[in-house]
Amino acid sequence: MAESLETLREEVLDRIARCATEPEIEDLRVEYLGRKGRLTLLLRGLKDLPPEERPQAGERLNQLRRLAEEKLAARLAQVKAREKERILREETVDITLPGSRWERGRMHPLTLVMDEIIDVFLGMGFEVARGPDIEDDYHNFEALNMPKDHPARDMQDTFFVSQDRLLRTHTSPVQIRVMESRRPPLQIIAPGAVYRHDDDATHSPMFHQVEGFMVDGHISFADLKGVLTHFIRRIFRPETKLRFRPSFFPFTEPSAEIDMQCVLCGGEGGKREGSACRVCKGSGWLEILGAGMIDPQVFKFVGYDPERVSGFAFGMGVERIAMLKFGIEDIRLFFQNDLRFLRQFV
Amino acid sequence: MKFTFNWLKEFVGLRASPQKIAEALTMAGLEVESLVPLDPGYATRHPGERDWLMEVNVTPNRGDCLGILGIAREVTVLTGGRLKPPRVDPHTGDASARRAVDVRIASPRLCPRYSARVVHGIRVARSPSWMQSRLEACGVRPVNNVVDVTNWVMLETGQPLHAFDLERLSSKRIVVQRAGAIKKFVTLDGIERELEPEDLLICDGEVPIALAGIMGGRDSEVRPETGSLLLESANFDPLTIRRTAKRLALHSEASHRFERGVDPEGTLYALDRAVWLLKEIASGSPLGGVADRYARRRKSAALWLRHQRVKALLGIELASGEVEKITRALGLKIRRRSKTGLQVIPPSYRPDLAREADVIEELARVHGYDKMPATLPLVRAAGGMADGHLRRERAMRSFLAGEGLTEMIHLPFTSREMNRRFPGLWRGPRPAVEVLNPLTQENAEMRLSLIPGLVESLRAQVSQKSKGFYGFDLGKVFSLGFTGAPEERQCLAGAIFGYRERRGLRVKEQSPAAFLDIKGLVEGILELVGVAPQVIWTGESLPPILHPGKGASLEIAGSRVGCLGELHPDLCEELRLPSFFIFEVDFEKLLQYAPREFKVRSLRRFPSVERDLAVVLDDGFPAQRLVNWIKEQFNHSLIEEVQVFDEYKGAPVPQGKKSLAYTISYRAEDRTLTDTEVNALHGELVSRIGQVFGAQLRE
Repeated sequence: MAESLETLREEVLDRIARCATEPEIEDLRVEYLGRKGRLTLLLRGLKDLPPEERPQAGERLNQLRRLAEEKLAARLAQVKAREKERILREETVDITLPGSRWERGRMHPLTLVMDEIIDVFLGMGFEVARGPDIEDDYHNFEALNMPKDHPARDMQDTFFVSQDRLLRTHTSPVQIRVMESRRPPLQIIAPGAVYRHDDDATHSPMFHQVEGFMVDGHISFADLKGVLTHFIRRIFRPETKLRFRPSFFPFTEPSAEIDMQCVLCGGEGGKREGSACRVCKGSGWLEILGAGMIDPQVFKFVGYDPERVSGFAFGMGVERIAMLKFGIEDIRLFFQNDLRFLRQFV
Repeated sequence: MKFTFNWLKEFVGLRASPQKIAEALTMAGLEVESLVPLDPGYATRHPGERDWLMEVNVTPNRGDCLGILGIAREVTVLTGGRLKPPRVDPHTGDASARRAVDVRIASPRLCPRYSARVVHGIRVARSPSWMQSRLEACGVRPVNNVVDVTNWVMLETGQPLHAFDLERLSSKRIVVQRAGAIKKFVTLDGIERELEPEDLLICDGEVPIALAGIMGGRDSEVRPETGSLLLESANFDPLTIRRTAKRLALHSEASHRFERGVDPEGTLYALDRAVWLLKEIASGSPLGGVADRYARRRKSAALWLRHQRVKALLGIELASGEVEKITRALGLKIRRRSKTGLQVIPPSYRPDLAREADVIEELARVHGYDKMPATLPLVRAAGGMADGHLRRERAMRSFLAGEGLTEMIHLPFTSREMNRRFPGLWRGPRPAVEVLNPLTQENAEMRLSLIPGLVESLRAQVSQKSKGFYGFDLGKVFSLGFTGAPEERQCLAGAIFGYRERRGLRVKEQSPAAFLDIKGLVEGILELVGVAPQVIWTGESLPPILHPGKGASLEIAGSRVGCLGELHPDLCEELRLPSFFIFEVDFEKLLQYAPREFKVRSLRRFPSVERDLAVVLDDGFPAQRLVNWIKEQFNHSLIEEVQVFDEYKGAPVPQGKKSLAYTISYRAEDRTLTDTEVNALHGELVSRIGQVFGAQLRE
């Protein structure tokens, strides 16, 4: 009995260890532990043994049964885990295949740059104003201190739509319109399209400007410098060097032009390369903004007392900023709407 | 303004390099646009001399810097050097010149001053090479010694001069007057010019001999045989010169300077300088006297420069010593000093300094903008918000880009033809705004609609063999209103054609853009603005640009706010384009109807139960009609929503019919509905639909 039990034990354990699938394990369980299983039958046969052998044989048989149950359960878990592992392995995808999605549309690069500009000024407490693209002579020129026959009008070749009406040559008329209808304090930007009679790689008959101005009791040239320095360093790099140069605009006094360090050569002007930098033409500087303190005459036109208020105004070309930011060399690309160009702006 | 560095050095003691001087001028508002070493050819004619050509961008307010002496004066202000004016042949007080010619000014306002000297014994020849090469370097073509001297002196002093052949002036009576009845005049370039009565002429008696301040006449010009000269140095009204020069498109070095204002006090100095040069290089023997009419003296007004104002405008306190130093260096006279400021008189060559602000600018300019502080002003609490308009523009762009449409910006110019085809959303036929001076005839009108621009972009894309085009434009359109005044509106338009591009593995069945795609875009737009519930969709009275069966018009409160659909096949044929879909909405009008705010609904506590319904109806039956009937006529409180989810034509549905499928959601506020309850209600709905619409229920 003892030897045969030992053989049976080895046989059971060996067969459990060789099971590879769930059905095999189930079959084995039925074979040994099922209702007519061999172990079950042996246990049932205990009663035929002499009473003195029964306890010992019973205990050993029960031990074997428990062992078989444990081993079967363990083996089942093992087989199940392996099976799961196999399924997961089979389900593995090729992660190098391309992802699927609809192609997105793009926003126009000028919108991207315009939004960036607007957001910097909104952050500084400015608000947005708008004005008509078709302006009258008064708002576009006269009230900005450019009377008829003023040579400064030569700086802006104009499209006319009637004797007195024209396509605005700058966004500055919005300055006049806002000041006509409101009182200081004002801190306003006016983005929009402007038009000049010009068409080549650096000039488009339509382009975009952002005009801005700030008027209050004591706004000074130092404030102008502060606001515009902050602005340029937000739009370009924080360490960008700037220079403020005197200039002339009929509607500001003093007037300034603001140059920033060249984005390509970093202000070197291409001296190291031995040929002039193609972006700044070797000067190391790029003109980026026109600005100045609003001329007292302009305040008189809108009925403000230049003794009591002062303010600054500035204007910038959006295309120019976009061209510098993105390294675009032909302004006409913005308006040809070629998807090969527009798609590049993610 | 072009000149050479060495020429400048003749007038001011300079040790600094050309680069340093260029930098100083640029930072003082006289932007040096280029500084280039002169070529070797120039150097061989000036042995041992290295020179640079400087080009300064002189702003329109600085007429005084249109002469090298003016630039030199500016350099002395910036570097503290001394001005060294060139040598002259000083005129005398005698009457010799006045006896030789009589000068009369008929219009003193247009010609404040006219000065002239007489030089005999002239031998006209080529100028010496030093003069020729310098003139050439500065962009002036050498002609002969006399003409070259007048140009030379103009470059030096900024005062334009003109030399007449004295022997060919028959009456020797110079009259400066308006053209009046004189209709024609031949300038020295041989072109006959049509005159207007307002043009200013220099006449010899009755005979015009020069277009004042612009160009001399052919018949009195200096010729090889000329022996005696009348040398004119005058001052003219800027506006008059500008009008005439502009009208005749005759822009000369002289008119350029007169337009920007020449110092009337400088006429005699320029004359004397020219005479000295003529003696040197043209063997001239001048009369000592000068014929000088100074009809209108311009007096520079004294003005106050207040310390407090300087500080308020510039944001810095300049030491009063520095203020005085700068004003004096600039040639302003200090007339009075008080506790609050200085009273100063600007020099005659700076007519641009007429007001306190002008002088404050000078202080800032000379002090140096870069030395001024930069501060951030205190900001008022108001402002700083992105207004609703901006917010919605941004939302629109993001939405459409997300839907695969790329934003495009088109020039707003178009042709008459395209405007005729695409009249836009204007109420009634509207004339387009015409550009009086267009770049080309194809661009002579302002667009009435955004569609033409999109059509051109689509055309370009199709010609690149592209399988799809998805674009939009948020821009302005223009027209003439009933009063003839231009009107402009911001519109939003899009065009879609063919297949929307997909990334990744190829999809088996992708369908090209169709009506429901463009409708979906417009629904999205209306939803974003918040006006969807107010909009009425109609297939009636469609704009003729649309396919009559595949288009819709949008109205709010009876006025049209947009349209969408397939472009009319005839129009596509005319444009030689495949069929595509467009929409255009009046963005500004939509915003007018946009609700200011909304409130959220509370979340439903009990689940809804859905039942589908498919009915066979006439082909022409609008799907929405059944939805409306259920909501408005059947109108049961347990019906929460009705949605169309399918339309089907073809077997087994009979010819002339279609099957429409709807989902109906039932929900109670206070309990979970039971199947029995829903089935009863749904059954009732189905049988009512059968009765009312004669609709057949489909399995």
